[in-house]
Amino acid sequence: MTPFSAPLSRRHFLKTTSLATAAAAAPLILPSGLRGQAAPSKRITVGIIGTGNISSGHIDTLLGYPESVRVLAVCDVDRDRRDYAASRVNASYGGTGCASYNDFRELNRRTDIDAVWICTPDHWHALIAIDAMRHGKDVYIEKPMTLTIEEGRAVVTAARRYQRVAQHGTQHRSMKRFHDVAEFVRNQGLGRLERIDVTIPPNNRFASATWSPEPVPAALDWDLWLGPSPWRPYTSAGCHYNFRFIADNAYGQITNWGAHYLDIGQWALDMDASGPVSVEGHGHFPTSGLFTNATYIDFTCKYANGIPMTCRTRHEGGGSVRFTGERGWIDVSRNRMSASQPDLLREMQKPGKAIQLPLSNNHHENFLACVRSRERPIADVELGHRTTTVCNLGQIALVLGRPLQWDPAREEFVGDDTANRMRGRAMRSPWSLT
Amino acid sequence: MPPAPPAQPPVVINSEAGPTRDPWVEITRLTYGSDRSYAWTVREQVILSAPETRGKMEERLLAALQLPGCTDAGRAALCELIALIGTARSVPALAALLAQPASFESARFALEALPGPEASTALRNALPRVTGRAKVGLMGGLARRRDALAQPALTALRDNASETAEVREAATRALDHLAHA
Repeated sequence: MTPFSAPLSRRHFLKTTSLATAAAAAPLILPSGLRGQAAPSKRITVGIIGTGNISSGHIDTLLGYPESVRVLAVCDVDRDRRDYAASRVNASYGGTGCASYNDFRELNRRTDIDAVWICTPDHWHALIAIDAMRHGKDVYIEKPMTLTIEEGRAVVTAARRYQRVAQHGTQHRSMKRFHDVAEFVRNQGLGRLERIDVTIPPNNRFASATWSPEPVPAALDWDLWLGPSPWRPYTSAGCHYNFRFIADNAYGQITNWGAHYLDIGQWALDMDASGPVSVEGHGHFPTSGLFTNATYIDFTCKYANGIPMTCRTRHEGGGSVRFTGERGWIDVSRNRMSASQPDLLREMQKPGKAIQLPLSNNHHENFLACVRSRERPIADVELGHRTTTVCNLGQIALVLGRPLQWDPAREEFVGDDTANRMRGRAMRSPWSLT
Repeated sequence: MPPAPPAQPPVVINSEAGPTRDPWVEITRLTYGSDRSYAWTVREQVILSAPETRGKMEERLLAALQLPGCTDAGRAALCELIALIGTARSVPALAALLAQPASFESARFALEALPGPEASTALRNALPRVTGRAKVGLMGGLARRRDALAQPALTALRDNASETAEVREAATRALDHLAHA
C-alpha cells in the first residue's frame, strides 16, 4: 500500500495529536495542519477559489452539508462576485465568519482549511491547484483540469508528491447512467465496439471583427485575472464566461462540454491511464475578432485497438456520447438516453456484470469521503489529466490541420516538433509551474 | 521558311484591383482589438508550412520583428509563431528583445519554447539584468526548461539576503523543481 492510499487511522490520529480530547467532541473544526480527516466527527473546512458562474452550484451543494462541511473563505479577483459569494455563505450559516480574498495565495496559506474548490477560468486551474496542494489542501478542480498537457502532468505529480486527494470536476463519473453505459461497453454489452461519437454544443458567441479596450472596472483585479496568460487589455466581452472562447484562456466547448463526454469514452475504453494513439481533424477558426477558438469542431482520436472516438459540434441540442457496436448503439446525455433497440437500455442497467466499475452517486460526497479516508476519488486527477489530454489533442489537431501520432505512455507527439511545443506554454511573469 | 506571324498588340487588362497590403508588414501594425485578419494570414502560412519551408518562415518572422514601428501586439503575435517553429537562429534577435522591458515577456515566451542550449543560455544571461516579477518569471522558465546550468545562479539568488523575499522564494522553488525534474 502506498503512503497515499494508506488511511490515517482514527486511533493513530487520537494518539498523535494533542487535541485528542477535543477531537472526541462533535462537531469540531480542527486546523488543517493536523490532518484530522480520519476523525469522522470533524467538519471538513473549505475554501472556494473563483466565485463566478460555475461556483454557484458548488456553493449551494456545500452549504447543504452544515454538519460535515464548513465554508470558511471565498476568493475572487472580482470584488463584487466574492462579496456576493461571502454574503451567501454568511446568510446560510447565520454569521459573518466567511472570509473573502482577492489573492488565492492568501486563502491557500490558511492552516485551518482542508480543501479548496477551484472554479476559476481554465488558465488558472493548474497553478492554483499546485499551490493549494503544496500548502496541504485537498483540491476539487473544475473541468477542464488544466489548460495544457504539461500543466496536467504537473498537477498529477503534485498530487502524488504532496499526498493530496484531488478530484476532477467531471461529475458524469458520479451519474449512474454514465457509469452504466461505460460498464456495459466494458462488458461487451454492445458486442464488439465499433466507434464512439461525442457531440458538443456550438462554440463561440457572436463577436465582431474588432473590439475596443475598456477601462478596468474598479472592482476587478485585471492583472490577477490574467495571471499566467499573455497580457491583453481589458474588455468586458473577454472576461467573465466568454474567456472560454479565447485560446489564451481556454479551448472552448472542446474542454467545456467535451471534457465531460470524452471522459465517458475514455472510461468505457479503459483508458483512464492512457489515451489515443492518433488524432486528426479540422475546425473553422475566426480570422479576426476577440474570440480565437474554432466555431466548428470535428476531430477524431483513434485508440490502439483501432476504435475511433469523434468529437463534433452540434448546432442544435446539447452534448452527448454515443457508443456503436455490433449489437446497435446507445446514446447518453445528461437528460436523456436512447438506443437502437430499447432492450439494450434495459440490459445496460442490469446489475451483476462481470466487470464492475466503481460507483459514485454524488461527486461532492465522493470527494468529501475521500478527504476523510485518503483514498483516491472517482475522478482522480490522473484520469482527469488523461481526459483533458484528449481535449488538448483535439485542439492541437484543429490548429495544425494535419494528422498527428500520439504516444500516450511518453505523452508526446511522434515526429511533430511543433505539436510537441503546443503541449505546454510559457507563463507571464511572475507565474510558472514551479 | 514561313513568314513570321504578324505582331500581336499587347494585351491590356482593365482591372480595378489595386495593390494589396502585405500581411507580413501588417502583422507588425497590429494593435489590441484591431482587425487581425492579416496576422491570421501570416499565422496560417507559418503553422501550415511544410517542414522544409519552416526555415524560410523563421527568416520572415525575424525580418518582420526588425521592421520599424512594430507594435507590442504585433511583436507578441510574431513571437508566438517563433515559439512554434523557431530554432537557435532566432535566439540572437530574441535575446536582444529580452533586454528591453517592453518586449521582455514576448521574447521570453518564444525563447522558453525553443529547443537547444542557445535559448537556455540567453535566458540565463538575462537573469542578472532583470528584477522583480521579470526575474521571478525568468527563473521559472529556466526551471521549466530543466536548465541544470542555471543551478549556481539560482542558488546564489536564493542565498542572497539583499534580494527580495519574492525572488528568494522563487529561486528556492526553481531549485526544487530542478531537483525533482
